[in-house]
Amino acid sequence: MIGDPVEMLETPVLVVDLDALEHNLGVIAGHYRGKSIRVRPHGKNHKSLGILRMQLAAGSTVSGVCAAKVSEAEVFAASGVDNVLVANQVVVPDKIARLARLAERVDTMVAVDALPQVDLLAMGAGNATLGVVIEIDTMMGRGGVRTVESAVALARRITATPGLEFRGVMSHQVPVRRPPSRRQRFLEGGRSIDRVVEVKRAIEAAGIPVGLVSTGESWTYDVAASHPEVTEIEAGTYALMEVPYAYMSEFRFAAKVMGRVVERPDGRTAVGDVPIDAIGAPNGLPTVDGVPGVVVTGLDHHGVTLTAERDMPLALGDAFLLLTHQQDITVNRWDRLVGVRKGLVETVFEASARGCVH
Amino acid sequence: MQRPIEKPIGTPVEELDTPALIVDLEHLDAKLASFRDGPDHRPDARVEAWVHKTPAIARRQLDILGLAGLAVRSVGEAEAFAAAGFDDIRILRPPVTAKSRERIERLRQAGRVVLDDDGPLWGGDCLDGTVTVSARVTGVPEAGLAIHDGGQKAIGRDFGDPTVVGRGDCATSAGSAEHGIVRWRQGADFAIGDWLQLAPGDVATVFSLHDFAYGVREGVLEAVWRVSSRGAFA
Repeated sequence: MIGDPVEMLETPVLVVDLDALEHNLGVIAGHYRGKSIRVRPHGKNHKSLGILRMQLAAGSTVSGVCAAKVSEAEVFAASGVDNVLVANQVVVPDKIARLARLAERVDTMVAVDALPQVDLLAMGAGNATLGVVIEIDTMMGRGGVRTVESAVALARRITATPGLEFRGVMSHQVPVRRPPSRRQRFLEGGRSIDRVVEVKRAIEAAGIPVGLVSTGESWTYDVAASHPEVTEIEAGTYALMEVPYAYMSEFRFAAKVMGRVVERPDGRTAVGDVPIDAIGAPNGLPTVDGVPGVVVTGLDHHGVTLTAERDMPLALGDAFLLLTHQQDITVNRWDRLVGVRKGLVETVFEASARGCVH
Repeated sequence: MQRPIEKPIGTPVEELDTPALIVDLEHLDAKLASFRDGPDHRPDARVEAWVHKTPAIARRQLDILGLAGLAVRSVGEAEAFAAAGFDDIRILRPPVTAKSRERIERLRQAGRVVLDDDGPLWGGDCLDGTVTVSARVTGVPEAGLAIHDGGQKAIGRDFGDPTVVGRGDCATSAGSAEHGIVRWRQGADFAIGDWLQLAPGDVATVFSLHDFAYGVREGVLEAVWRVSSRGAFA
């Protein structure tokens, strides 16, 4: 397979444009060069040790990784990183025991947003030391503490609990309206970052040092860099990209699902071999890449329907590329990502953490 | 590849590592038996194995229904089911590359696939109401809002959001990629650690997400199955 022209690949296949991926990694690495802020690559977006190593090699990163789940963190810990942040709440005793075993191999941090979670972690940590960060809700209305006072109370409890080490604060954001203008990004993103910094200062005022301030992500990497108290961002989407992030025009689409036309029902329509479970469409139909006037008009378990404004330029057997509207959902359907450069297969990334939802 | 905490046969369903894909075996067997004894049963029907991608479920369907053949979407799915010992497989998608025609020819010579068959297909909906995903509440950050670990990557959202089984008091059930989100106005009172069961918006989507399915009878784990042709899109 290595060295083959991309047209030789059996379809559907998830391909990664390596030039685009390296470009994307270079954008944030370059922006952060000479600054103290760092990127913590989020492994949930690519599930692959190979791409994680490329992110770390590109520079301006922490010597660690972010994971959404304990089982995912275990996979990424094998990459040789110094530390792992599970940016989620872990509350079931046997999962916490697993987290504690991971902490014996690599510095392990986990997020909390309530006192009972702290007590559960303390009970399950055993002889291990778990780093704990407080998740703050800034705009998503999902997990995260809602008030400064509850964050300070949590920090006090963590600091007083043997086996746990208070490390800092974190928050996730997505823009309210998309696409936001640059001004909206700085206003909206900046407001959330200010909120995290406010909590950080309140915890410090209570006499508790705050080492880690993790907020901002792909859409606010530059906003976060303008706030000196932010130590790192948790970023993932920038590496492979997705259609709703197209407003971040400095990044290029790197992940694409390649399919082939398997039916031509009429002059304007082609049916492709990409079923919905190979790309996922929780936030809308995929976009056809590089064929002007052709759009996706249907997607089900048997394939994708492409419709042309006038005459369908794609013939039976022709390859086409689809861009996803939610990149991490797409990658999670695949066991491997095929790295392509200038039309040739250069490498295969095993998606070792695919399906690691536990 | 998923790495759940492994539990022995006989484990109560609530103790399976969440999120877990659960198949209710009583319900599945009853559904298969009622079809076998019903008026629509056709001895020449093929079971649509692409829906569940799981050889153990396909075997159960064929045995109870007294059928012989499977239908799958791709050559890769056919290869996975052939490797699991099946030998009467129809591939629904027409091949358009020389390589896939070669792969089909190899399967044909090994006596695993049939090429000229347009008999009836059955079982696309046979698992509806039979499959759930278990989850645990990880946080209750404000009144009326619970966060659980059954997000989109565990339950799918391509055909809509899941519902919480037996909890009509939940106003909405949704999720982002890693988090499930349940809201309620009154009645429900979730706490951290609570176990819940989600009914997916679409069964085939759930099987495309999990590497393992858990067969459960009367609330107890009876079988652990590999979802073998998951991801075999090509």
